[in-house]
Amino acid sequence: MPPQRFDQAKPFVTLGLVLLAWLLVPTALKRMARVSFFELQAPFESTASYLRDLQDFWALKSRPQNQLIEAGRDIARLNAAYEVRLQQDSALRAELDRLERVLKLPSAPGFRSEPVRVIRRDFSSWWQQLIIRKGRNYGLVEGAPVIYAGGVVGRIREVHAYTAVVELVSSPGMRIAATAEGDTRPVSYQGGINPTYGPAFATVEYVPLDVFVTPATPRRLVTSGLGGVFPPNLTIGYLTRVEPSTDGLFKSGEVKLDSALSDLTEVTVLVPETPAGLE
Amino acid sequence: MSSSGKERGSLVETHKGYDPRVIVFYPFIAVLLLILAGGLAYQQLWLADRFHESERKQNQRRILVPGPRGNIYDREGRPLVANRPRFAVTLYLGELRKDFRAEYIRIRKAYRAAGDKDVPTGAQMERIARYTVVQRYLDQVNRTLSREAKLDADDLDKHFRHQLLLPYLLVDDLQTSEYARLIEQLPVTSPLQVYASSIRDYPRGSLAAHTLGYVTANDALDASEDFPGAELTTFKMKGTLGREGLEARFDPLLQGETGGAIYRVDPAGYRVNPPLSKRQPVHGHNLHTSLDSDLQAVAEKAMAATELAGAVVALDVRTGEVLVLASKPDYSLLDFVPHLGHAAARDITERGAWLNRATHGLYPPGSSFKILTAIAGLRAGTIDSAALVNCTGFHQVGGRKFPCHDGHAHGEINLATAIEKSCNVYFYKQGLDMGVDTLAAEARGHGFGRFSGIEIPETRGSLVPDPAWRMERRSERWYPGDTANLSIGQGDLLVTPLQMAAFTASVARDERTTTPSILHEDNRVAQHSAPSGLSAGQYTALVAGMEACAQTGTAKVLQSAFMKIPGLRIAGKTGTAQKQTPKGVINFAWFICFAPTERPQIAIAVVMEGDTPGEETAGGRYAVPVAAAVLKKWDEKQKTRPVGMLPGFISQRPAVPERSKPNP
Repeated sequence: MPPQRFDQAKPFVTLGLVLLAWLLVPTALKRMARVSFFELQAPFESTASYLRDLQDFWALKSRPQNQLIEAGRDIARLNAAYEVRLQQDSALRAELDRLERVLKLPSAPGFRSEPVRVIRRDFSSWWQQLIIRKGRNYGLVEGAPVIYAGGVVGRIREVHAYTAVVELVSSPGMRIAATAEGDTRPVSYQGGINPTYGPAFATVEYVPLDVFVTPATPRRLVTSGLGGVFPPNLTIGYLTRVEPSTDGLFKSGEVKLDSALSDLTEVTVLVPETPAGLE
Repeated sequence: MSSSGKERGSLVETHKGYDPRVIVFYPFIAVLLLILAGGLAYQQLWLADRFHESERKQNQRRILVPGPRGNIYDREGRPLVANRPRFAVTLYLGELRKDFRAEYIRIRKAYRAAGDKDVPTGAQMERIARYTVVQRYLDQVNRTLSREAKLDADDLDKHFRHQLLLPYLLVDDLQTSEYARLIEQLPVTSPLQVYASSIRDYPRGSLAAHTLGYVTANDALDASEDFPGAELTTFKMKGTLGREGLEARFDPLLQGETGGAIYRVDPAGYRVNPPLSKRQPVHGHNLHTSLDSDLQAVAEKAMAATELAGAVVALDVRTGEVLVLASKPDYSLLDFVPHLGHAAARDITERGAWLNRATHGLYPPGSSFKILTAIAGLRAGTIDSAALVNCTGFHQVGGRKFPCHDGHAHGEINLATAIEKSCNVYFYKQGLDMGVDTLAAEARGHGFGRFSGIEIPETRGSLVPDPAWRMERRSERWYPGDTANLSIGQGDLLVTPLQMAAFTASVARDERTTTPSILHEDNRVAQHSAPSGLSAGQYTALVAGMEACAQTGTAKVLQSAFMKIPGLRIAGKTGTAQKQTPKGVINFAWFICFAPTERPQIAIAVVMEGDTPGEETAGGRYAVPVAAAVLKKWDEKQKTRPVGMLPGFISQRPAVPERSKPNP
């Protein structure tokens, strides 16, 4: 019979052995375990998401008819406006195609848009990532840009079988070649370290010295299209403050991000037609 | 162990009494213990600071980063030299230690598995591992940028051994689109990072290349005295050092303040973040030059059109500020960014383009010097501006005939006509009448033979010869023929275009000297020196001759349809100097002038070097068009300038009469 002192220490010894075993497990196996756990969890998350959609559907269904009629009219107006813009865009697109042909320029990379519901967003990483309800089953690829009506949401960091993880534009791990609206010189945008509760901010570097903004006269920051990931002219946020950096070559500053990023329910993934370029 | 101890079952040994033989060892042990304790105290207390300092030096490293250089602007605030960012992809080798180790193990295993007898040493395998890992990152960059950059193994090894704390440069001078692609496609946490440094940018291309100068890389970066860590091992990023022109002369001012950081390093020399202390580099002071980039561009273009070597200097008569300082052939400043290649350097040498002819070119001034001869004679009383002198086409000095400049006889002429027609005979006679000493003294009084006082380097070879100089340097006598030569700006006399421009500005103000300045001040006070000493009548006659020269004399080409500047009165003097070269005699075409005659504001000196022996490279033909181009642009700018923006010099003398025509 083992001594009593060893019996008392048994749980700790076991824990130690388990930890030791985990440390000795090959990295690939660990990664597989993590992915498997994620995939195992995914159906529950998806089901919960579908249930929330159903809940929203019935909540909308219970609204008074007047509100629905009013909303329908608003949508009709918006549709009309978009129809006009669509026609303008078509004309511009035709003109661009013609110029590309005349000048023998390569066509800009195309994207297939894939609307996706947001299924989860952790409090601990509110401004860092979110999980969407489509994955490899819809042909999503790592690095694909994710957008919404207000501009850039982020880019896909991980793709699973039925879900994908999106790294948000507000995350410090996110860097974009951006431009101040109306300018062509690229600046380096990077998400900030944002607490869960509160507005999200980001930073910019390498801003040309002749770009001036104040909090009263902010300037829209858009994607440059030069980085090879995001198409041009998507809104990232608003430059609210820039100040000269001590190297005298550039300015650096702060970007205020759209508060709508905080409660996204649906986003659009732009799946590149040539995804190889993203890797 | 004692028996009583055993009996009680105690583990403690007890001793009763002592052994006297053991006692002798006690003092010995005590002394040893004292030495030990003393040594410990000495090391721990007395030498603690020294060890602490030694430890600090061992595990801390300082990195110095140069501050960007200041910009250089023209007089209207337009940048002539600025800085532009230069983006590069760098790799922080310090962050790759694990990768290096893993690759090293993999290589070692591979060799062992292959059973290769010729196994490299551990150090060689480490080198191969480093190369392989870095090459992997370079491949990633090449894929992203569609480039084919190559890795230099020796360079990598050198960097690893000597500059591990500094980022290793993988691909330099990225295009904007490349930089954007890397920003977006490289992970934020990647050891590959985009690094921005500052290099010189020339928004106006090679404009005023000689005057601005260039910079070269500087390894000897200095930190200010209050920058901590001078005693630490220091790694320095490359800075810049001004080598020529303004960049060299004002290097201390233009240099930025060095910044940097102090890092703790581990025993292998890898950096431990974050830095213990950090200081941002500070931008250098900006320099506002007096150059007018519009006039400078016109001058350089006009000179380039002649395809001859030469120089142009234009001064603001009122302040002495240099508006144009151009020299051809010149070099492209862009060739020096980031550094001058051997082929470009050889090309500059072969074309003779290193020399700034405006400040370092030494030329005989030829007939343009007759203005000084005239002033000297007028002041000495040997010239009467109205008196007529007979030009028979030559002048006999001793046994030698000195011809007039075009070989024709001008007949009876006064001072103004002599200037207008550039009559040599008139000035031979006047020079001989006043004597070499008077002439040389007057030349020196007007600033010839010494530095002009401009802020940038200039030649020390300017020379006003006289008998004493001739005897001292050559042990030869001075002959009257030498005086005759000197009076028309020939012989051993050597001047720079800058000196001639300063002299012209002095004549325009009717003063003795002008100190040119390359720096611009918004409200610079008018420059004044001693008056020339001419009476109003003498000065009027002198200027009338110069104006006639530009109207009907040797510079009458200014009145041609292509060069005429309506409403602008110009007073000038041409010159064609000869120089004996091994190939034969070549000409130097001169033209000095100021304008407007009635209210002088700009003074110009132009010299163009003939390139073919025996070819008539006359001032009126080659130098006047260059000056005309500058004057035309200057006049255009004056007419478009808001009223009161640039007050012109107002002579203290009565204005020169309208179109005063010299009488023969």
